[in-house]
Amino acid sequence: MLVASLLIASFVIFAAVYLAPGNPIAALSGGRSLPPSSIAVLEHRYHLDQPFLAQYWYWLSDALHGNLGLSITLRENVSTLIAQRVWTTAGLVLYASLLICVIGIGLGLLSGLRPGRLDTSTLVVTAVSAAIPAFVAAIVLILVFAVQLGWFPALGNGTSLVDNIRHLTLPAVALAISSLAIVARVTRASVREEGEREHVQTAVSRGIPGRQLIQRHILRNAAIPITTVTGITIASLIAVAAVVETAFSLNGLGAYLVQAAESKDLAVVQGISLVLVTAFVVVNVVVDVLYAALDPRVTLGGNR
Amino acid sequence: MARRPHRWAAVAAVTTLALAAAACGRSAPSTGGGGGGSSAGNVSPTKGLVTTSPAGTKPVSSVVWAVYRDVNSLDPIYAFDYPENTAVSLMCESLLRQAPDGSLQPGLATLANPNPKTFVFTIKPGAKFWDGHPVTPADVVYGLKRGMDTKLGGFYGQVFTRVSSITATGSDQVTIKLKQPDYWLEGELASIPGVVIEKSVVQQQGKNYGTPSGKIMCTGAYELKSFAPGAGVVATANPDYWQGSTKALVQQITLKGVPDTSTLTSGLLTGGIQGNYAVGIATLDQLEKSTNIKVYQGPGWLTDAFIVSSLKGALGDVRVRRALSMALDRQGIIDSVYRGAALMPRWLSNPGTFGYGKSVFDAAYAKAPVMTQNIAAAKKLVQQAGATGKTITIGTSSQLSDIAAVTGAYQAAAQAIGLNVKLKSVSAQNFVNFFIEPKARVGVDGFLTVNYGDYADPAAMLSTLVLPEGSQNYDQFHDPAIIAAMEQARSTADPDKRAALVAKAEQLTAQQLPWIPNVQPTSVLAISKKLTGATVSFAYMFAPWANSLGGTG
Repeated sequence: MLVASLLIASFVIFAAVYLAPGNPIAALSGGRSLPPSSIAVLEHRYHLDQPFLAQYWYWLSDALHGNLGLSITLRENVSTLIAQRVWTTAGLVLYASLLICVIGIGLGLLSGLRPGRLDTSTLVVTAVSAAIPAFVAAIVLILVFAVQLGWFPALGNGTSLVDNIRHLTLPAVALAISSLAIVARVTRASVREEGEREHVQTAVSRGIPGRQLIQRHILRNAAIPITTVTGITIASLIAVAAVVETAFSLNGLGAYLVQAAESKDLAVVQGISLVLVTAFVVVNVVVDVLYAALDPRVTLGGNR
Repeated sequence: MARRPHRWAAVAAVTTLALAAAACGRSAPSTGGGGGGSSAGNVSPTKGLVTTSPAGTKPVSSVVWAVYRDVNSLDPIYAFDYPENTAVSLMCESLLRQAPDGSLQPGLATLANPNPKTFVFTIKPGAKFWDGHPVTPADVVYGLKRGMDTKLGGFYGQVFTRVSSITATGSDQVTIKLKQPDYWLEGELASIPGVVIEKSVVQQQGKNYGTPSGKIMCTGAYELKSFAPGAGVVATANPDYWQGSTKALVQQITLKGVPDTSTLTSGLLTGGIQGNYAVGIATLDQLEKSTNIKVYQGPGWLTDAFIVSSLKGALGDVRVRRALSMALDRQGIIDSVYRGAALMPRWLSNPGTFGYGKSVFDAAYAKAPVMTQNIAAAKKLVQQAGATGKTITIGTSSQLSDIAAVTGAYQAAAQAIGLNVKLKSVSAQNFVNFFIEPKARVGVDGFLTVNYGDYADPAAMLSTLVLPEGSQNYDQFHDPAIIAAMEQARSTADPDKRAALVAKAEQLTAQQLPWIPNVQPTSVLAISKKLTGATVSFAYMFAPWANSLGGTG
């Protein structure tokens, strides 16, 4: 499954970048007019003088041997370039996921189980924040917490682990905020729905204590939709990370992907895309496995 | 010679930040901003501009300096744009050196000129690389020939067109023989093409030279510590710098790519970034108001211009070109695009480029009229030319906000004098094609650029568009008087006489308008108030700019 996804994705992305406007040699020379002999040398060096399928084949056969190719702008191995940046993106997405799971689901459970003032205010706040795109959140967070209050740095990665976490806090919040709100709302709704189901009402009338009632009858059943939404939003974070990384000048894969696509650095675009596609597939697999753990009716790989 | 279209920085989300941050609306551009304080449209154009900030006095452990995108290469033959130039000029030195005021001075070598077709460079005693090896004639010859070698795909091959041989002629001497006298080569050798690198290191590194995994070997006061894309280029003070009188006060400088203007601005305001050379930065007001940042303005080598790329359409008539130039609201461009950090033009070249023959240039420049707006006279010219109602097509990109803004000014100008305007708008990535793809220019009458030469000489940029072989002469613009003045200037040894010839070419160009000058951007340095000593003028692109950088106080 993974291999097929990767193969198809690699071809589609290669074709898209190939067809997209721009010229890697122009990006390389900054538009300076080069002597024709220099252009010929550079085109030959990067196989740019070959037809499309031949170029793809060069890339694919190298990639199958574990060689993701050479960045045109940096003249450096793509795998090295990716390795330098993958931890920033991984850290950012993990941090944001943690915020979504802990705060999002927590808030949803609280307001789902305790109707009242907290519930109403959660509803209002999440309705607003669900509509905040990451780039707006980034600008506002920088403005308030970095420029005005000076609590967090406005940009960069940091040097030590603690420093890294400090640097990643604002970006993670910017990345998580709208997903967090959606997860909170879905959690609240499904907890409410389960709470009104017949078997729960019956359990209440039979005098089953609150804690057991919530754990066994409400949460267990509400867990499936919550897992689905959380999984999808976390997978989507991988894509949105590009925006946040650019806004906070983080040294991550997403920002680099955007930069590479702009300069038509094919090998880099391919390499990063494959990493992202893999991550996406892996997250989805994890969610599927979780289903099976949560709901005995679901069997992995079986016919349902 | 040099030519560059534009800095491709995408200016995204800036307006949002500006709106949110400035609790007030956009006020008129401040005229006394920072130490520079050049008023827009200043009559004496370079007055009030400073070439350098006061030298630093205190040691500083670490500085983060922003460039508009990541540095791609540290190999001088591939250094062509702001980030690479800033990095190479920080650490490496050329045979000659451009002082902050643009004048040429000895660098790693002194220059003698026994006859017009011979340059003899004598390497200064004690000149040595970071690894302690002395700079030898073999290193110099190797480096220059490497720059000439088209097989390497370097960007400066055209610089050496008049060179017939480069040879080591003594234990500390290199002789360049020329086919024809070429006094423009001096300027180039005081710039990136003249950077000296160590032969044995280049040979040992091969293709890796100047890449993130390779290393480099130069002679400057700062040496390379690491080069990791994304994280930046880290340079540390070279404890054994060969010019003992210069001691780097900053222990470590990190050049970091920050593509987003709002990120750059918040970084500067919060101290995450301590310095940046900014071009047309939309948040200049915010920076000038900040208590943490000082903004300097210095002489620029830059010209913001409209390239007339086709002389077959309405713009083939010089009267229409003049009319369009007269109708342009240049003050509006200075205010809205450059936030005051630009000057009204009199010539195509920026007066900041007067690096030699200054008194001659200044006198000639003072006599030239300022290109102010006069719509009534412009209308008349269009009528005389019988061009009323004709259409001009402008190549532009709505994704490049500066380009789009100036295009808007041209639209307004053309409509005010009875011309119609059609836009051919392309993506930001494709804008470069107007410069390099003849196909992209088909049906286009002109497009916009921010252009500069490699050294302080109006001829450095002018030669690319008025000479028949010029790389930016797109439609065989041919004016015998201009060509004659330029060719003669190239072969004239005396700086004042050369300046007079170039001034003549500039005056004629300002009448013929193969390009229409829009404004002359100044060089803008935004730097933490705790730091001082960086070069302010555009010379930072070509010569060490941080040798005097240090703490204030």
